[in-house]
Amino acid sequence: MQVDRLTNSGVLQHQRFQNGSEDDAAVLLGAGPCCRHFLRVKGLVKQHIDSFNYFIDVDLKKIVKANEVVTSDVDPSFYLKYTGIRVGMPERTDADAAKPCRLRDMTYAAPIAVDIEYTRGRSRVIRKGVVIGRMPIMLRSARCEKVILVQEQMSKNRIIIQVDNKGFMAANRKSKTYVVYKKGALYLKHNSISDDVPLVVAMRAMGMTADKEIAQLVAGNDPLFLDMLSPTLEEGSASKLFTQRAALDWIGSKTKVTRRPGMARRPGYEEALEVLANVVLAHVPCVYAVNNDNMTDDLDYLGNKRLELAGQLLSLLFEDLFKRFNYDLKLNVDKVLKKPNLAQAFDVYNQLMCHGDLITQGLTRAISTGNWSLKRFKMERAGVTHILSRLSYISALGMMTRISSQFEKTRKVSGPRALQPSQWGMLCPADTPEGELCGLVKNLALMTHITTDDEEEPIRRDAALMTGAELHTPGTHVVFLNALRFVRHGRIPAFVSIYIDDHRNTVNISADNGRICRPLIIVENGKSRVKDHHIQDLMAGKLEFDDFLRLGLVEYLDVNEENDCNIAIYEKDLKLYTTHCEIEPFTLLGAVAGLIPYPHHNQSPRNTYQSAMGKQAIGAIAYNQLNRIDTLLYLMVYPQQPMVKTKTIELINYDKLPAGQNGSVFVMSYSGYDIEDALVINKSSLDRGFGRCQVMRKYTAMVRKYANGTFDRVRYAHIDTDGMAPPGTRLETGPDVDGGNDINAGVGGATVEYRPTPATFKYPDHGYVDKVMITTSETDQTLIKFLLRQTRRPELGDKFSSRHGQKGVCGIIVQQEDMPFTDRGVFPDIIMNPHGFPSRMTVGKLMEFVASKAGAIKGELQYGTCFGGSKMEDMCRILMENGYSYTGKDYVTSGITGEPVGAYIFNGATYYQRLKHMVADKMHARARGPRAVLTRQPTEGRSRDGGLRLGEMEKDCLIGYGASMLLLERLMISSDVFEVHVCEKCGYIGYKGWCQVCRSSKTMTPIKIPYACKLLFQELQSMNILPRLVMEDI
Amino acid sequence: MDVDATPQEEPKNYIALLEVPEDKLEILPGASQDLTSATFCVKEEDHTLGNALRWAIMQNSQVDFCGYSIPHPSEAKMNVRIQTTDKTDAVQTMDKGIDDLKSVSQFIKARFQQRVAENNYARTN
Amino acid sequence: MSLADRNRVVILEDRVENIHGAEFPMGFDEKELPFNLASFKDSFDVKIVRVTPTDIEFDLIGVPTVAIEKVYMINNTGIVQDEVLAHRLGLIPINADPTAFQWKRPTDLPTDQNTVVFKLEIACSKNNEAADDEADPKKKYVNSAVYSRDLVWDPKGDQAERFADKPIKPIHDDILITKLRPGQSISCEMHCEKGVGKDHAKFSPVATASYRLLPEIQILEDITGDDAELFKSCFAPGVVEVVEEGGVRKAKVVNPRKDTVSREVLRHKEFEGKVRLTRVRDHFIFNVESTGIIAPEELVAQAIDVLVEKCDIVQNALANIGKNSEDDEE
Repeated sequence: MQVDRLTNSGVLQHQRFQNGSEDDAAVLLGAGPCCRHFLRVKGLVKQHIDSFNYFIDVDLKKIVKANEVVTSDVDPSFYLKYTGIRVGMPERTDADAAKPCRLRDMTYAAPIAVDIEYTRGRSRVIRKGVVIGRMPIMLRSARCEKVILVQEQMSKNRIIIQVDNKGFMAANRKSKTYVVYKKGALYLKHNSISDDVPLVVAMRAMGMTADKEIAQLVAGNDPLFLDMLSPTLEEGSASKLFTQRAALDWIGSKTKVTRRPGMARRPGYEEALEVLANVVLAHVPCVYAVNNDNMTDDLDYLGNKRLELAGQLLSLLFEDLFKRFNYDLKLNVDKVLKKPNLAQAFDVYNQLMCHGDLITQGLTRAISTGNWSLKRFKMERAGVTHILSRLSYISALGMMTRISSQFEKTRKVSGPRALQPSQWGMLCPADTPEGELCGLVKNLALMTHITTDDEEEPIRRDAALMTGAELHTPGTHVVFLNALRFVRHGRIPAFVSIYIDDHRNTVNISADNGRICRPLIIVENGKSRVKDHHIQDLMAGKLEFDDFLRLGLVEYLDVNEENDCNIAIYEKDLKLYTTHCEIEPFTLLGAVAGLIPYPHHNQSPRNTYQSAMGKQAIGAIAYNQLNRIDTLLYLMVYPQQPMVKTKTIELINYDKLPAGQNGSVFVMSYSGYDIEDALVINKSSLDRGFGRCQVMRKYTAMVRKYANGTFDRVRYAHIDTDGMAPPGTRLETGPDVDGGNDINAGVGGATVEYRPTPATFKYPDHGYVDKVMITTSETDQTLIKFLLRQTRRPELGDKFSSRHGQKGVCGIIVQQEDMPFTDRGVFPDIIMNPHGFPSRMTVGKLMEFVASKAGAIKGELQYGTCFGGSKMEDMCRILMENGYSYTGKDYVTSGITGEPVGAYIFNGATYYQRLKHMVADKMHARARGPRAVLTRQPTEGRSRDGGLRLGEMEKDCLIGYGASMLLLERLMISSDVFEVHVCEKCGYIGYKGWCQVCRSSKTMTPIKIPYACKLLFQELQSMNILPRLVMEDI
Repeated sequence: MDVDATPQEEPKNYIALLEVPEDKLEILPGASQDLTSATFCVKEEDHTLGNALRWAIMQNSQVDFCGYSIPHPSEAKMNVRIQTTDKTDAVQTMDKGIDDLKSVSQFIKARFQQRVAENNYARTN
Repeated sequence: MSLADRNRVVILEDRVENIHGAEFPMGFDEKELPFNLASFKDSFDVKIVRVTPTDIEFDLIGVPTVAIEKVYMINNTGIVQDEVLAHRLGLIPINADPTAFQWKRPTDLPTDQNTVVFKLEIACSKNNEAADDEADPKKKYVNSAVYSRDLVWDPKGDQAERFADKPIKPIHDDILITKLRPGQSISCEMHCEKGVGKDHAKFSPVATASYRLLPEIQILEDITGDDAELFKSCFAPGVVEVVEEGGVRKAKVVNPRKDTVSREVLRHKEFEGKVRLTRVRDHFIFNVESTGIIAPEELVAQAIDVLVEKCDIVQNALANIGKNSEDDEE
C-alpha cells in the first residue's frame, strides 16, 4: 500500500506503514485527533446546548413573530404588538453564578424581555425591554457565559417521537390519516373527517379537478397503478363533485368541529381546506404502499425518527405559555376597556406588568415536575425532565446522552426494542437498561450530533416545480444525484441531508430538527480527502474541526444519507466506489460503553451489564465535588485511572475523574467463600486504603417565619454557641440527642411558648459533620444545610465489579499472611473465582488482566480500545521478557499450607469498581419496634425500623406445611393482635365487656383478632354493612 | 528429645493479646475416653500456628492422624484433631508436637543468628 | 517417583506436580524415618545472601511495631478530611523500638511507657519572595505540602532520655501527607501505640515477606547450536550460559537460583523431553523487606520468637487442661 493513500487517521498511523510495522497500539496513540477535536468543539452534551441556544436565539423570536399582535374585541383601535424578544443574562454574571443558585435551591434563570408597540389612547407608544418572565437557563449555553453544569435539579431528557407516517396506514403525530383500499377504490380517512372521503374528491378539493391530472399525479404513467386507480376514478365521478369548491364544501360538511368557544364558525370550505392542508397533505405518498410492500416504512428505522431536544420542548412550552399570556392579557384589556369612562388613557404596560408570573411559573413548574401538559398541542407527557443523577461522573454523562422512547413499555413487541442496523454509529449498541425499558432507552454514540432547524428557504428555491409526469419519470432523481455532489463543498448548511428514496423515486431534502447525524471523512476516487498536512495542522492548532467541515474534508451524514453512501471502516478498505470513511470505528460505542477495555472480545450482554454498572461505580464526581452539597454523594478516597485505558476514556476525561482502583487480582478458588461470584479481599489492602469511600449526606433545616408573626429560632444550645453542630463533630444515633442534633428549632412568638423541635440525627451509623451552610432561600427563609460525612472501608457484602459486567460481593476478608503469593512476593488484593469465566465468556477481561499486568511491569498505561488496543502478542512478550510466564499464569505458593499451589494461577492487575450498594446502607433487623398508627401492624421499610414481611409465598409454604400455629403467630400474634369483646347474642363488637346494642354485659366474650380485621369491620359498618361475629364453642 | 542448649532469652511479649483467653485450649466433646483421639479447640490462633503444629505433630510416629481446621472465618478458633496409637494419647502428642516445633524454631533462630554474626554475606546500603 | 524426587516440586507446562510434602513417618515408604531433630540440625543451614538496611534475602508472624493509632484533630482546614488524614498518618512507619514500649489496652491511660506523642502544627501561606508569575506551588507558597518530616515528636516523661541516642521520628522524611494552600492549616496531636499487623497493616514491620523454592533446571539431553541460544533466552539473564565444548556450543545451567520459573522453555517444541524443571522442596529462599523500623536480620529472629511464644501459650493452656482433667477425675 502506498504511503500517500494512507492519510486519514493520524500521523502515527502514517508512520506505522512507513516503518512497515503492524503495531496497532501506535495507531491508536495517534489516531483520531479528528475525534478528539470533534469532541473539543462539540462536547458530549453539545446537542442539548445547541438546541437550547437555537430555541433562545431563533425559535423564541419565531414564536413571538407568529403571535405578535394582541387586539381587543372592545376597542378596535387598540393593539399591542411585540416587536422583539430577547433573553438577558442571569442576574449574576460572575464566574460561579450557578453555584449559589445550586446551594440555595434557587432556579438559575434570566429575564425574558420584549419590545412592544401599543396604543395608549390615540398615541402610539414604543417600549423596549419589558420583562415578561424569567427563563431557566441551561448551563454552559450561550446565555450563560461561564460554565458549570446543567440546571440544578433538572436535566433535559430527550424524548423521541416517532414520525411513523407513511405506512400502509399512514400516521402522523396525533392525527392519523388512512388511505383505505375498499372495494377496489381508494378512500381517505381521517379522524377529523367523519366519513370516508373518496380519494378523487380529496384530490379535487386540493385543486386537481381533471381526472387525468389526478391519475397522473397519483400513479404517473405506470399502467398498473392506472388500472388500480380506475375504480377510484369511477367512484369520484359518481360523487358528482367536480369542482374544487364543491369538493371542499362536501368535505367541510363532514369535518368535525373542534373549535374553542368564542371563535366564529368558519365556512365549511375553509375548514376543509385547513384540514387538508395542515393534516392530510403530508400523507399522500401512502398511495403507493397499496401495491408495493417495499413502500411500507420500517417504523423502527432510525431515519424515520426524530429526536426532540430541550429546545423544542421548551419552545412548545413557551409558545403555549405565551399564547396563554396574550389571551389573558387580551381578556384583561377587554375588561378594562369595557369600563365606560376611563380616568386616564389606558396603558397596557401596567397590565403587562401585572400578570408577569405566568410564564415564569409555567416554565419552572413544567421543568421541575416534568409534566408537559399542553392542551393546545394535544401534548400530555410526564417524565420529560429528570433529576440529573450526580452519583458519579459517568452516570451524569450517561444521563445527558440518553434517549427515551415514547413507546409503551408494557407492550410486548420486540421491534422497537431490537437493535436496528440503522443505529450503527448513531446510537450505542451496548448501553441500554435491562428489564422493561430494554431497547427503549438508548444512548447516543460518541460522535453523534442532533440537528436543529435549518433555514428552508434557500433550499426550497433550488427545488424546481415539476409536474406529475416528470416526477414519475424513471431516472428523474439522477439529476438530483449529480446535484448532490455540490453539497459537499459547504454550499448548503452542514446539517441538511439529501437522499434518494428509490422506492418512491423521490429526492428528500431534510433540514428539520431532531435528525441524528455523525461526521465522516469524505473519500474521493478511493482517496481520503483528509491528508497528512490537515492532521498536522489540526494537531498544531492551526485548523479546527469546523474548518474540516468548511474545507469539505469531513461532513455530517444523517441516517438517510448513509444509505446512499459506501462507508469504509478503515482506510485500508478504501475502494474507488467508496464515498466515505469512518473517523474512528470505536466511536460507534457511547461514552459509557467506551470505558470497557477490549469490549469487542466480550459476549455482548456483558457490555450492556457494564454500561448499567459503570453508572453505579463510586469515584470522583466532578472537580467541584467537595464544594457541593448534594442529598447523597459517594466519593472514593483514592480513585485511580485504569491501567488499561481506552481512547474513549481519554476523550471523556474518565482518567481525570475515575471511579475505581487497579487491584492485583488472582483468579483461583479460595476458602469456599467465593462461590457465586463472591470475592476474597486482602485485609491488609483494605488497611492501606483499597476501596475506601466516603458517603456525604445532606440534612436540611429551615428556620421559618410564619404568617401569624411567630417564627422558628435556632436555640443556643449545647451543641455549639450557635446551636448547630460544628464541622468535625462526630454524630451518633441513639435515644440521647446529645451530640446528635443539629439545630433546635422552635415555633413560637410573643404569646406562644417555644416548643423544642430539635433536628436529630437518625442514621444508624455514626458520621462527622463536614460542612454547615447558612443561607437564605429564594423566599427569604433561613436555610441551614448540613453535610454529613462517613468514611467506609469495604466490608463483607459490599459490591464490587470489574469493567466487564462481572459483579460480585465481598465474601470474605483474609489476612494477607494467609493469602497465596508468587515467587516475587506479589500478593492479591482480590481473589476471584474462575467459575466466573466459562459461562460469561468475558474474554476482554482476561485480556485486561494481561494488558494491565504488562503495563504495570513496564510502567506504562495500556490501551484496550474497542476494535484496537494493545495487542495480546505484545503484552505477552512483555511478560515473558520480564520473567513472567507468557500465559499470565504464575507459580504460586499457598499462604495457608506453605506448599505450592498445584495449578498455575492467572493473575494481573484489573480495574475494579466499588459499586454504591453497601451493606451499611442495607442491613436491617428488628425484634420489636414502631407500628403504623392506622393498622397497628409493624411499619414497613428499613428507614422506619420496619418489620420483615412474611409474604404471600411464605404464607403459602406454611399453609402447605400445615404449620397453623406458626402461621397464627407470624400473622397475628407478632403483628397486630387485638382483643375485642364480642357479643354472642348480636355478634357486634362491644366495649370492655359491654354490648352497646344489647345493653348487656352477660354475653360478652373476649376474642383475639388482628387489629386490621377489627378496622375492616368498623369500616364496613360505616358503609352500612354489618358484619356479625358468630361465636361457637370448640 | 533433647532441648536445645541455646540459653533461654528474656521472654519478650510479642503477642498483642495481653489477656490470654481463659479457655485458650479446650478439648471438644466427643473425645475418646482414653484420649487417644481428641479434638482441641485453640482460641485466637489461625493457620500460622495450626499448619506448623500439624506438621510437627505428624512427625510423631505414634500419631495415626492429625489435622486442623478453622471452622468458621469469623470465629477466632482453630480445631486440631489428633488420633494416636494406644501407646500414647492426644494430649501428650500435642505437648510433644509443641515442644518439637519450639525446638525447631529455636534452632532455626540460633543458626540464623549465628550466620548473621558471621557476617559472611553481601551487605549493601 | 524416585527417592531423589521426593523433595522436588515438578514444574510442568500446565501444572505443578508433587506439591505436597511427604516427609512424614511412613509417608513416602516404610523406610522413612520419623522426624529427628538431630538429623534436622545436621542438615539445616541458613545462608544469608544479601542484606541492605531494609532488605534481607533469606513467614513472619505478628512482630509488633509502634504506629500512630489515635489522632486528635484540633484544627484541619485542609482539603483532606479528618479520617483520611488520620489514615494517612497511621500508615507512616515510626522509628521507635517496639520492645521499649508496653502494650496499651483500650482501657489503659496513655503513659510514657505505652504511648509516643507527635504533634503536627502547620499552616500554609503565600511566599512573599516568590515571583508574581510563579506557577510552582512549592515556590509560590510556604508549606504547600506536608511531609512526614513535619511531624514533631513530643517526648513525654523520661522518653527524651530513654531515646536520647535514637530520637523517635518517622523512618522516611519525605512521605507526602497532604497538600495545603494559603489559609489552610492543620493542627493535631498523634498518639502512637504498639500493635501487630494482624490488627492493622500499619503495624506490620515488613513491606514484603515471602519465599520461593530453589529452582532447578535439569538438562536431560544436550542442547546445542542455535537451540542453545534459544534455550538461554528462555531464562532470566545469568541462569543459562552457552559454552563451547569441543567446538560445539552447548547450553549449560550456570545459576538456577536466578530463574524466575517463567516456564518459557516448556513452550518450545525443540526442548520437549530435553529439559526438566523442578524446585527443591526443602530449599527456601526467603525475602524479607522491612519497613525500616526493625532491621531485617532482627526481624526474622523476632518472628521466630513470636512463634515460640505462641507455642508456649498453647502449651501452658494444655498443661492447665491436663491439670483440670486430673482434678475432675479426683
